[in-house]
Amino acid sequence: MQTFIAQVINGLSLGSIYVLLATGFNLLLLVAMIIHFAYPQVVVFSMYIAWVVLRYTGNSIVLAVLAAILSSVLLNLISAPLFQQVMKNREEVDINTTMVLSLGIGMIITDVLSHGFNKGLPIAFPSKLIGETPILRVGLISLQGGQVASLAVGVLAVSGIFLLLYKTRPGRAFRAIAEDPNGARLVGIPLLRTGFESYALSGVLGGLIAVLLAMLLGYSSPGLGEQVAHKVLAVSIIAGLGNLVGGLVVGLALGILEALVQGYISGSWSNAIAFVVMLLVMLFKPRGLFGIKL
Amino acid sequence: MAQNEVLLRVEGLSVAYGHINALKNVSLEVHRGEIVVLIGANGAGKTTLLETSLGINTPNSGDITFKNKSISGVPADRNVRAGLCLVPEGRGVFASMSVLDNLLLGAHHNMKNVGKNLKRVYQWFPRLEERKNQVSRTLSGGERQMLAIARALMSAPELIMVDEPSLGLAPIIVNDIFEILVHLNQEGYTILLSEQNAYKSLKCAHRGYVLETGKVTLSGTAGELLNDPGVREAYIGA
Repeated sequence: MQTFIAQVINGLSLGSIYVLLATGFNLLLLVAMIIHFAYPQVVVFSMYIAWVVLRYTGNSIVLAVLAAILSSVLLNLISAPLFQQVMKNREEVDINTTMVLSLGIGMIITDVLSHGFNKGLPIAFPSKLIGETPILRVGLISLQGGQVASLAVGVLAVSGIFLLLYKTRPGRAFRAIAEDPNGARLVGIPLLRTGFESYALSGVLGGLIAVLLAMLLGYSSPGLGEQVAHKVLAVSIIAGLGNLVGGLVVGLALGILEALVQGYISGSWSNAIAFVVMLLVMLFKPRGLFGIKL
Repeated sequence: MAQNEVLLRVEGLSVAYGHINALKNVSLEVHRGEIVVLIGANGAGKTTLLETSLGINTPNSGDITFKNKSISGVPADRNVRAGLCLVPEGRGVFASMSVLDNLLLGAHHNMKNVGKNLKRVYQWFPRLEERKNQVSRTLSGGERQMLAIARALMSAPELIMVDEPSLGLAPIIVNDIFEILVHLNQEGYTILLSEQNAYKSLKCAHRGYVLETGKVTLSGTAGELLNDPGVREAYIGA
């Protein structure tokens, strides 16, 4: 029982990171109309930036968080014109081309990380960020600072995004584009500029995720982005592409499932199991558990 | 009526989609205070003309001026800001969003006066106020058309272009919609209408243009067009 509770706690904190990643990924899919496979790589790049800042500022966590957010926003905004140029040239939204473009960006990021930082070796985050001693310990169950933070920030960030989507002017424009881009254009919503805003928003989210991942895992490596990218894709497809609520439920569920597999079978199976679930869902519900929202 | 000022002028406009010429050398004028109707069958180029005026398509040649400024190639969002707007064919209401959200989308570039405009729009369409929190999917066809018109009004337009408002609506509802358009015109809005329903639209318009396979083949006052034998045969069936 104690193992179970401990693994559910692990799973919830891991799951809330999946939820955040899927939310950022879906925002870009819905509003900017791109499939940004490399979004997790952008996040991992920001982990590295946070790591560098921690090293050179004597472990200033505030500066590290700011730097992570800044780097992820900047990376998103730099790549935005690339994606938009492709769309403009073809005079239509072309999700396939953006997918390939994104894969390319991901590879470049991975290469930069493996050549530019720490000789390509995994980096470890200082214990000041991770929090060495657990906040709470009961038998096998222990609660780490990173776990609490990722759950708390996860809840806050997701509610913030839903508030923004349903209560603000840019959020309304986001939803209009998500439902009917052409209709939105006829009403006078500028597609490219509003899309640009969604790059910025998912950038802010990406920076937060970077810090949470660093707290939770305690390390990062050039290959981490790709691993996480596979999971995020699985979450989005299981839930139904573009389905924010679906991403919320499936992200948490996958986190818990993975943690349970880790606790009772072996960690090395967790990836395979995520994809077995995805294949089964695809077989019986091709539009995902919650339905594609595009 | 001060019908001298030209609000929208289209001169020698040609638009092509690939190899298909949707509009060929089309010219027309809409004066302030008028209701002008574009009559034409499916595929005659009515929607292309309205959408190009809004800034959705780039013309191959010709010029469009709005309030004496050329707006060829100006993107739609800037034209909406300048006082041009379109009620799209098939309403273009966002079905998964609430009535209020749809109205607020219309005010995207005009959030300053949103409270005042909402009040005014609710006065005209009390039913929309009753249903403001309802998801638009649950509205009837006529209500959706009213919502689409009300949404256009939220942008404080000077020229409202309405694309085939009667499409798919019951005749009684169509009468209501045309009545609303006439009423809006009396309130000072200039209206450019596209319609297949020539009789009803000419009855409420001041002037009209007949569009056939991308060309203007006839133009005149509404009375002249109503009595034109060609128009009667092709579009009214009398």
